[in-house]
Amino acid sequence: MFWHILAQPELWAATLAMATPLALPALGGTFSERSGVVNIAMEGIMLIGAFFGVYAACLTHSAWLGMLGGIIMGAVMSLIFAWVTVSIGADQVVVGMGVNIFAAGLTTFLLNMIFGYGGTPTSTPHLPNIHIPGLSQVPFIGPVLGQQNVVVYIMLLAVIASHYFLFHTNLGLRLRAVGENPQAADTAGINVWNMRYLGVIIGGMLSSLGGVYLSLGLLNSFEPNMSSGRGYIALAAMIFGKWTPFGSLGAALLFGFSTALSMYLQGTGNISTNIIQMLPYALTILALVGLVGRSTEPAADGIPYEPNK
Amino acid sequence: MKRSRLFGALAVVLILTLALAGCGNTGTTPNTGDTAKKPDFKVALVTDVGGLNDHSFNYLANKGLEKAKADLGVQTAVVESKQMTDYESNLTKFAQEKYNLVIAVGFLMHDAVAKVAKQFPDTKFMIIDSEIKDQPNVSSALFNTEQCGYLVGVMAGAMETSTGIPNMLGKNTVGVVGGMAIPPVNDYIAGFIQGAKSVDSNINIIVKYTGKFDDPAGGKTTALTMIGQGADIVFHVAGGTGNGVIDAAKEKKVYAIGVDADQNYLAPDNVITSALKGVDTATYSIIKATKDNQFKSGDVFFNLANDGVGFAKPIKAVPDPVVAKVNEAAKKIKDGSIKVSNEMPAGYGK
Repeated sequence: MFWHILAQPELWAATLAMATPLALPALGGTFSERSGVVNIAMEGIMLIGAFFGVYAACLTHSAWLGMLGGIIMGAVMSLIFAWVTVSIGADQVVVGMGVNIFAAGLTTFLLNMIFGYGGTPTSTPHLPNIHIPGLSQVPFIGPVLGQQNVVVYIMLLAVIASHYFLFHTNLGLRLRAVGENPQAADTAGINVWNMRYLGVIIGGMLSSLGGVYLSLGLLNSFEPNMSSGRGYIALAAMIFGKWTPFGSLGAALLFGFSTALSMYLQGTGNISTNIIQMLPYALTILALVGLVGRSTEPAADGIPYEPNK
Repeated sequence: MKRSRLFGALAVVLILTLALAGCGNTGTTPNTGDTAKKPDFKVALVTDVGGLNDHSFNYLANKGLEKAKADLGVQTAVVESKQMTDYESNLTKFAQEKYNLVIAVGFLMHDAVAKVAKQFPDTKFMIIDSEIKDQPNVSSALFNTEQCGYLVGVMAGAMETSTGIPNMLGKNTVGVVGGMAIPPVNDYIAGFIQGAKSVDSNINIIVKYTGKFDDPAGGKTTALTMIGQGADIVFHVAGGTGNGVIDAAKEKKVYAIGVDADQNYLAPDNVITSALKGVDTATYSIIKATKDNQFKSGDVFFNLANDGVGFAKPIKAVPDPVVAKVNEAAKKIKDGSIKVSNEMPAGYGK
């Protein structure tokens, strides 16, 4: 019975679909924390991206411009976050939580103000699913990989690009350096604040793309609080993935798989729905209590940098 | 430092500009303190945490209130509860301001209404979806949603046994996506299963819960797995999560059934009908009764017999014989020859 479920390509397609909105913010968090700024604001930034994505798509009648709008607003929100945490040196966890609460309130308020209680227009365009010719015909692989939303492929490319950027370029090395030892990096002539701004803003853009995927990729509408806690699970995925792009992707895939599996297991056999629904969350806790050994955060993560100290 | 401050200011300006530009059609907005024709009768509506944009009972209750305002000239006020702890203070506020009728939406507000109603015996209260007994100033609006669930179940079952309907997958399988396994959801689903089985006892019904009412992405993925398993009609009882279910049906070109309100507008070619819960008519009728000094305390049931529940007009893809079958079932429920239970049939909703 169980093996039969694993052999269904739809399960793996659902895994990938559910992993994408976790992998993108996890990747975003990785950028921010690698530069030394603890970022728990992914949930809020996702909501910002999701809402402004739909809003821009409905203003411009283009899903692509909508995506751009969502990412830009995610970057703007991150800019504010970076300004408060990096330039002013406020507590990063407190400000991150503030961003989450603010984003939830702001997006619901704007939804009601702009669109009314009936929700966003049903004519809002959405980002296309890509049918890769040839690949779609291959049995098993086809239904899994051949017809996903375009953002899923963007996510996979972003993971590879982020790995290359962080570990194989000078700029990536500098970004990591200010997250490990900002004093030394400063002495070596790296502008610590600029690097941290860069990390937070790239992170915000990736997180908001995760929100755009929910609202314009999977759907074409915005619902209040539609990120539904994914930003926090992404936080766990980032830590579980040891602050690396491939690690984050792997963790997101694991959480995505458990979500998809819980969808499949329901209604089969006599296991209680409530227990099955616990699966992704139980796995999060198990992962965080160190199932895969120690994960060490960047040394200067969470400490505001003051040059003269 | 100076430059970053500039960026900060720029960001705020950008957000505000975007916020002011309009897009799409603006829906109804809550009204407070309107100087209507008869300002002597005041009605207040307190939503639960779902808020007015829940596409469901809060939204419908407000619709009923708007209608009462337009038709009966009552003075209205609406407040959205942000968290559970706000219920009591929101209700108390309106009672203190001598509102004639205070409406509480949703079974989550049960305890708050029971408490506040005792403190303000001169104020009339109405609670939707919950039962408060032995309190002379509280009226409880209850809906027999298993009846409308049964009818859309009959429609789904009859669609499966019909031939020649485009886009059906021919696997005699239907899906149900529930938000949580709680009574207001399971009443619908219990009725749906009984209805579908009344047409063909061999029908395969897949029931899944997403565990959330605000996760359309999860709803869509769940519905896609059901469609992958051969379901060609998906019924949702999942609030905001259900929008994703309807979107999945639209994408895969199969059929969906909406809930609470007529949700055909979400996908006109795919939403064949909706199981309707007349929260708007219930709200309106209780406001009207109270205004005419005919307030009745205790349970007020809304069912098929008094048009409190029902189903939305089916789209053209539903063949006439199927619709006839549903109408016949509706008749039989009304005259009592079919009894629909709100107990989940064995093997479902575990």
